[in-house]
Amino acid sequence: MNREERKIPEHDLHAYADGALDGPARAAVEAYLADNPAIADEVEGWKRQNETLRALYGHRAAEPVPPRLNVRRLERESRIATTRWSRMAAAAVLLLGVGTAAGWYGRDLLASAGPVQAALGDETLVDEAMQAHRVYSGEVVHPVEVWAGEKDHLRAWLSKRLARPLNVPDLRAGGFTLVGGRLLPAANGPAAQFMYEDNTGRRVTLYIIPAKEGRETSFRYASLDRLEAFFWTDEAISCALVGDLPRDKLQEIATQAYKQLG
Amino acid sequence: MSQVLDEIEGCVPALRRYARALTHDPDRADDLVQDCLERAIRKRGLWRPSGSVRSWMFRILLNVHRNDLRRARRAPMPLSLDDAMPGNEPAGPDVQPGRLALAETARAMQALPDEQREVLLLVAVEEMSYAEAAAVLSIPVGTLMSRLARARAALRGLTETGAPKLRSVK
Repeated sequence: MNREERKIPEHDLHAYADGALDGPARAAVEAYLADNPAIADEVEGWKRQNETLRALYGHRAAEPVPPRLNVRRLERESRIATTRWSRMAAAAVLLLGVGTAAGWYGRDLLASAGPVQAALGDETLVDEAMQAHRVYSGEVVHPVEVWAGEKDHLRAWLSKRLARPLNVPDLRAGGFTLVGGRLLPAANGPAAQFMYEDNTGRRVTLYIIPAKEGRETSFRYASLDRLEAFFWTDEAISCALVGDLPRDKLQEIATQAYKQLG
Repeated sequence: MSQVLDEIEGCVPALRRYARALTHDPDRADDLVQDCLERAIRKRGLWRPSGSVRSWMFRILLNVHRNDLRRARRAPMPLSLDDAMPGNEPAGPDVQPGRLALAETARAMQALPDEQREVLLLVAVEEMSYAEAAAVLSIPVGTLMSRLARARAALRGLTETGAPKLRSVK
């Protein structure tokens, strides 16, 4: 190849090093490299990097898969419980109880689990959710716009207004039955609120606003003026479960809500 | 549905390899894979066969990993250089590059920016095509190529491994 011939694009040089070229394209690169020893050295270096990286990490794939990564088993467990989130939820509560715990993981949870001390967006979420709870949970005649009897309509309507598919979680396992729900104005658009009550008349509300797809937060806790909230972001929604309940009870219900929304 | 589970299962060894290379920590790597699997299992009803299950799994793994990094950055854990070494992890039987070169590369990989490390590992270790790697990362192939080129240059700058006896000057 003489100097007049055009340069091989860098893309092809990489593709050559990665073994992704064959036929004439491969031959063209080989001819070019034969005439350009400096570039040939560089390409040779890339191939060596690949080999070194494969030697460094490749063996991992040949190791036996530990039982905890058994897909069938995880699938069975997913039907029962154990998600990353519920592990974190348990850790969050435990760490709050302990007060000071070592390790970055714990510090992170503690830092974000203090009373409404999270990021600004979360603060707004919890504020709005608590405000909405205060306004409506005491209502006797009009606690909701759409009653539980029209649950399908409620779900379709709020899914449409929030522009994402919402489930209305069934929290009866925790002793709370659906009262109904309503649409609310939030800082950045519409919000949904579902209300539940137990047989003693205690009410909890689940407040939901749209969130950016792909964002996911840990499970956090806030308390303010006797109201407690667990809140999280997952699956394109941010949620806060608010109530005046013992923390572990509220957490149990929040866990159920999370699973059914996810 | 069960076929998707089979395909997910088939990805586990490669996911472990990738997670291990991303985190340089065997325990965290398996935590990462477990989170990824749980997420995929939970969401498998949403999966549509528009791409391969493998790309989808790697995409989930990277999302989980990035979320972990964001959390870790808010409360950084001091990472000692010893942790950065492959240490007692055997490098496999009869590997060509010397142990020193491996340790050096392991350290250098940790010094790479996340986005360069992600790309280089998908191409070099997972041996994905550029198109598949770009799909996993949700970036155009052109962006992938420029990250790959920067990763290789950076890795070379950080190690002797990638450099020939005489450093060539263009």
